[in-house]
Amino acid sequence: MIKVEGLKKQYKEAVVLDVESLEIPKSECFGLVGNNGAGKTTLFRIMLDLVRASAGKVTIEGNDVSKTEDWKSRVGAYLDEHMLLSYLTPDEYFETLRKIYRLSEADLKLHLENFKELFNDEILGKKKYIRDLSKGNLKKVGIAAAMMGHPEAVLLDEPFENLDPSSQNRLKKLILQSKENSKVTFLISSHDLNHVTEICDRIVLLEKGKVIKDLNEKSLMSEELNTYFGV
Amino acid sequence: MVVALIRLELLKSIRSTSFAKSALVAVFLAFLALLLLSYVVFFGIFLKAIIEKGFESTDAYATLSGVMVYFFLFEFMYRYFVQKLPVIELERFLHLPIKKGNIMHFLLGRSFVSPLTLIAPLLFTPFAIQEIAPRFGSGAAWSWLFCIFFTSWSLHWLMLWFKQKFEDSLIGIGVVFALLLIGAGSTYYGWYNLGSLVKPIFDWSLASPLPVVVMGLIFMVTYWLAYTYYYSNAYLEDLTEEENVRFINQDLGIFSRFGLAGELANLEWKLIIRHKKSRTYLMLAGFFLLYGLIFYTNPVYKSETGFSHMFVFVGSFITGIFMLQYGQLFLSWNSANFDFFLQKRTGIEALVKGKYLLFVVTSSLCLLASVPYAYFGWDILLIHLVTFLFNMGVIMHLVIYLSLWKPKPMDINKGAMFNYEGVGIAQFLMIIPMIGAPYIIYLPFALLVNQYAGLLALGIVGVAGILAFPYLSKISIDKVLQNRHEISSSFRQEL
Repeated sequence: MIKVEGLKKQYKEAVVLDVESLEIPKSECFGLVGNNGAGKTTLFRIMLDLVRASAGKVTIEGNDVSKTEDWKSRVGAYLDEHMLLSYLTPDEYFETLRKIYRLSEADLKLHLENFKELFNDEILGKKKYIRDLSKGNLKKVGIAAAMMGHPEAVLLDEPFENLDPSSQNRLKKLILQSKENSKVTFLISSHDLNHVTEICDRIVLLEKGKVIKDLNEKSLMSEELNTYFGV
Repeated sequence: MVVALIRLELLKSIRSTSFAKSALVAVFLAFLALLLLSYVVFFGIFLKAIIEKGFESTDAYATLSGVMVYFFLFEFMYRYFVQKLPVIELERFLHLPIKKGNIMHFLLGRSFVSPLTLIAPLLFTPFAIQEIAPRFGSGAAWSWLFCIFFTSWSLHWLMLWFKQKFEDSLIGIGVVFALLLIGAGSTYYGWYNLGSLVKPIFDWSLASPLPVVVMGLIFMVTYWLAYTYYYSNAYLEDLTEEENVRFINQDLGIFSRFGLAGELANLEWKLIIRHKKSRTYLMLAGFFLLYGLIFYTNPVYKSETGFSHMFVFVGSFITGIFMLQYGQLFLSWNSANFDFFLQKRTGIEALVKGKYLLFVVTSSLCLLASVPYAYFGWDILLIHLVTFLFNMGVIMHLVIYLSLWKPKPMDINKGAMFNYEGVGIAQFLMIIPMIGAPYIIYLPFALLVNQYAGLLALGIVGVAGILAFPYLSKISIDKVLQNRHEISSSFRQEL
């Protein structure tokens, strides 16, 4: 589904990302881990064409992301607050997205129904702008928005950060569910090794922009990662 | 402790991103401030001459003291609009183990270090030396001067309290309007003479030091008022701005007919209504509708045949003011959520088109609202119509194209007055083509044939531009798409 070829990102002399090749098949849950500054967010941003690659390219189902736009309707993402319209209320925001994705009102209702448990009655129907929400609730809005419009792939940057433990579990359930039911491909970066090893089929470890480990075997994942991070 | 705070303050201004990134703008603004202050000094030096020659007054002192109250009314107005509140700084100090009282004294004291504090001394000291000291003695001059200084400076503290308590509320606007009415009632309608009611206070200050002592006390009382108010409200929740206009704002129905672009125009409308900076721009647009009154009623611009060439400028200003002001920061308004649009299919195209749509609608509203100017002659209505067409066909594309030159991020929750965030050199230079463009078309025809031919040419060019809209708008859209990576990383403040 997503293919990375000879990707490089350089700021002047500093190489921040250098990925030879990476292929993410459909309906895989792809985990991305690495220390601060390893290049996780940069990789996601290049995949979404928010940052220009210095060399190489990312293709989504054969389309170069920097040359075409059609893939955008098939890929959902939530990286940071820049992707939200923070001056709207969550309801208005979802309504706006509904129009952009050309969904019916019933579709939107159905979609938000899935998030009922995660939202915990703190998001919908409140007279509060997104910018005034707490960090955790902000994240929930972003994740719900990213998974809207029946995307084939969803990119989430640190989705578990700032969520309370029960929300973290609910989110894990949601991700596994939509992977099961709609064959959605997930790309998740996280510092939380427990969560990411639990839900992901494959974990890639980045260090200083390079892929240094590509782990497929579930039983060995946590041990390898724990040794690397020294926990 | 205070020294440490002052040091922090200096470091802050030296290292602030806006200073480092646009040193040129900072230099320009500093130059502007110096220029304005030097005007004040010049005005002060020639104040006596101006009063004696200009107003044919034999007693310059009596005339000045008689109108002094208007100076203070005016000062109240400009302080209301210009003066900044020091509370924004509070957040960074409140959690530290520094006495709250010290923080407050420091912040209030810092706010006093401002060009506004200097205006009254610069303006009136030369006058006191030239006029009052020779006539009434130097003691009287000092006493008169300090009476004025303390009044001016009391206004400083009063304004800190007043703005924090009432800004953006109906009471605040009410008080400002009431003061305007008091001034106007006295000058225009002659119901009473405010000036001569207040004059005795200043006369008295020549003979006795008592008024100075009283004004000095008022100065201290107003400081104490500001201090206690700020001290007792030194909690983040109390001092952050309250949103008063929540949820009264609804969608503008007309936009919904234009598909995705219309939807984004609607979003933009909500953005305007819900942020302080854009709200101020909107209010200014309403205010500038009255701009015509200055020119159209002024006998200087009356001519026997036709109309003044100046009116073309006035017309394009009135019908396009919102577009000109809002448009010069075109993408900066969306700097906080630019990635949202980038990540949607055809999102950028729809965003730009939505803004076009918004400009067309607001300019049309301005045109409609300016119809009553027909009272000053049908010519004016014609000028407005023609400049409107020209704005839509040419200026709009020009503004948008120029504003795409290195757009900068800005925080649109801050006020608009004297806030130069997002403003770069492009925004300054933009003014030249904005004013020049209509005249390049209009003047040759107006001077060689006649004024109506000039208007006709403007109108034709405007209509041609409107017909070429799909092509012209594509230029801007392509430019954004081409630079999308640079723009988005600059908005994320990564550069």
